[in-house]
Amino acid sequence: MEFVLQQFFTGLSIASILLLVALGLSIIYGAMGVINLAHGEFVMLGAYTAWALQKFVGLNLLPSLVVIFFVVAILGWIMERGVIRFLYERPLDTILATWGLGVIMQQAVRLAVGGELRYVEMPSVLSHSTSFLGVELSVYRIFIFAVVTALFALTWYLMQRTSIGMKLRAVIQNRDMAACFGINADRIYGLTFAYGAGLAGLAGALVSPLKSVSPEMGTTYVVDAFMVVVLGGVESLLGTVASAVLLGELTGAIAYVQNDTVAKSLALLAIVVLIRFRPQGLFVSKVRA
Amino acid sequence: MVARIDSTSDRVPVLRRTWVQISIYGAVCLAIFLVPVVLDNDFLLNKYARYLVLGILAMALSLSWGYCGILNLGQALSFGLGSYCMAMALKLRTVPVHTGEGGLPDFMVWNNVQELPWFWAPFYSMPFALFAGIAVPVLLAVLLGWFVFRARITGVYVAIISLAALVVVNLLIIDQQRYTGGFNGITDLAQLEILGMEFDAYSSASYYLVATVLTVCLFAALAITKSKTGLIMQAIRDHEDRVRYFGYDVAHFKIFAFAASAAIAGIAGMLYTIVMEFASPTFLGVPLSLSVVIWCAVGGRQSLLGAMLGAILVTGMQGALSESETFLDTWMLVMGGVFVAVVLFLPKGLAGLVETIVEHLFGQGRAARAATGKPAAGKDVSGTGKKAEEAA
Repeated sequence: MEFVLQQFFTGLSIASILLLVALGLSIIYGAMGVINLAHGEFVMLGAYTAWALQKFVGLNLLPSLVVIFFVVAILGWIMERGVIRFLYERPLDTILATWGLGVIMQQAVRLAVGGELRYVEMPSVLSHSTSFLGVELSVYRIFIFAVVTALFALTWYLMQRTSIGMKLRAVIQNRDMAACFGINADRIYGLTFAYGAGLAGLAGALVSPLKSVSPEMGTTYVVDAFMVVVLGGVESLLGTVASAVLLGELTGAIAYVQNDTVAKSLALLAIVVLIRFRPQGLFVSKVRA
Repeated sequence: MVARIDSTSDRVPVLRRTWVQISIYGAVCLAIFLVPVVLDNDFLLNKYARYLVLGILAMALSLSWGYCGILNLGQALSFGLGSYCMAMALKLRTVPVHTGEGGLPDFMVWNNVQELPWFWAPFYSMPFALFAGIAVPVLLAVLLGWFVFRARITGVYVAIISLAALVVVNLLIIDQQRYTGGFNGITDLAQLEILGMEFDAYSSASYYLVATVLTVCLFAALAITKSKTGLIMQAIRDHEDRVRYFGYDVAHFKIFAFAASAAIAGIAGMLYTIVMEFASPTFLGVPLSLSVVIWCAVGGRQSLLGAMLGAILVTGMQGALSESETFLDTWMLVMGGVFVAVVLFLPKGLAGLVETIVEHLFGQGRAARAATGKPAAGKDVSGTGKKAEEAA
C-alpha cells in the first residue's frame, strides 16, 4: 500500500511540474494557435531571473516570484508585439520564428552570464520533508503542487469569470466579429501572450531549486509540455490537467518497471498514436463557433 | 508549367522555366566539381565535402517541405539511419582489436556481447549496406507516412509526430549501447572501397564522390518536381482539398514525397559517415534536425538549389567562425536573428529574393520570350556560381 502511494506521489510530482510548464503553453496555443517553441526559453529565463535575484539582490525565492512573473511577461509581450503578431496568418511559420527567438534568448543568456550550471537555493522553510500517510514527502514538492493548483484556479477564473477572459474567448471564436463589438483584439492577444510567458517564467523559477539552471534547460521542457498540450486538447484547460496527470503517472510507473528511456519512448509513441486517432486531443470543450 | 494553382498570372517567371533552371543547376554543380582543381588541401576538401553533404540533406527537406507542404521536423531521422547503416558496414571491415579477424566490433566486446547480433550480420556485404542505407529510411518513412497521411493529419501535427518519432529512435539508439555504441556512436571505421576505388575521407576522391552524388540527387529531385507527380505535390501544398476534389489520392502523393525525401536524406547520411569517419547519435538529434529546417528556410524552401546553397552557406560560415567559442556563440545569436528576419520578411528565403530581383531586372517589357530569357539566364548563372564559390 505504501509502495503504491509512494509511486502515486512520484507521478503526481512529475505531473505538477509538467502542468506548470504546460499551462502557459496551453493558453498561448489554445487562444492564439501559436506554436511557441520559445516557451522553454521563457522557463529558462525565469530560472535565471531567480538565480540573478538571489545572487545579486539577495532576494529569497518566494518574494522574487512576483518580480519574475512580470519580468518574463513583459519580455513575452515585447515578443508578441515585435514578431508574432505578423504571423497569425501563417501558423506553421510561428514554429520557425519562435524557434529563432528561442535561439536568440539562449545565446544571449550564454553570452551574458556564461554557459556553466547555476544553482538556486531552496527556501529554507520548505527544504525539509514530511511524512504523509506513512510516505516521506518533500515539502517543496508539495508546495509546487499547491502553487500549480492555485495558478490553475486563477487562470480558470481569469478566463471564465472576468471581462478580459470573456473578451479573449470572444476573440478566439471569431476575431473579426469580436473587433466589430469594440474589442481590441491586438491588445487581448498581447496580454494573453504575456500572461502565458509569465506563467512559464514562474515554472522556471519554481523548478530551479530542483534542477540545475543552464541555458539549454528549456529545450527538455518544451517537448514534454507540447505533448501534454496536444494530448489534452487545444482550448481545454481541464484537458491539459488531465493529460499532465496521466502522463506524469504513466512515466512514473513505466520508469519504475523499466527505465527512464523506455518510459519516455513509450510515452512519446503513445502520444503519436493518440494524435493519429484523435488529433483534436483527448478532451475537447464543445464550442459553438 | 504553371506550378502554383493559386497563381493568377499565366506568365512563367524567368527562373522557373525548365531550361533556365537546368542550366543554373548545372553551373552550380560544375562549380562544385571545379573546387578541388583550384584547391589542393585535403583538410579543407574534407570540410567542404561535409558542407555539401549537409546541402544534400537540406535539399531533401525542401522536396517534402517546400514542394509538398510537409514540415518534417524529424528529417535527421532518415539521415541518421543512413549514417548508421554505412557505419555498421565499415565497422565490420575493420580488424577488431580484441577478437582478431572476423571477430566482434570493439564496443560490443566492452559491453560483453557474446556474438554478433542478427541485424549486424548482413552488413558484411557492402551492396546490402548501400541498399539498407536507402531502404531503411524509406521503409520507415512509408510506414510513418501511411500511418499519418491516411488519417489526413496535416500541418502542426505532422511536425510534432515527425519530431516525436525522431526523439524515440534517438533515445533507443542511445539506450541500446550494446548494439549501437550508445552515446559514443560507432567509431574507428574502415575506409570505403567500391570497385577497387578507395575513398579516404581526407582526399579529393571522397570530395568527388560527394559532388557526384549531390549532382545526381539534385537532378533527380528536379526531375521529380517537374514531373506530373511533382506538380500534384505542389498543388497539394497550395490547396490540399481542391486536389482531393479532383479525385487524386492525396495521401498517396504525400507518402511518395515523404519517402523520396527520406531516400535522399539516407544517402546523405551514408556520405556523412564516409566524410566524418564515424556515426553518432547527434546525427539524428533534435538540434541537427531543426538546423536543417533553418538552412532550408534561409536558402529558400521552395527551391531545391536554394535550400542546398542555404545549408552550405550557413554551415560554411558556422565552420569558419567556430574556431573561437565566443565567436560561435555570437554567430548563433546573429543566426537566430537572421532566421527570424527571414521568416518575417522573406518567406521564400534568399532564392525568393534572387528570383524577385531577376524578375524585376529581366521580367519586364518582354516582347519575345526567347530573346529575354537568355540574358536573364546568363546573368544568374554567374551570380549563383559566385555564391557557391563564396560558400565553399
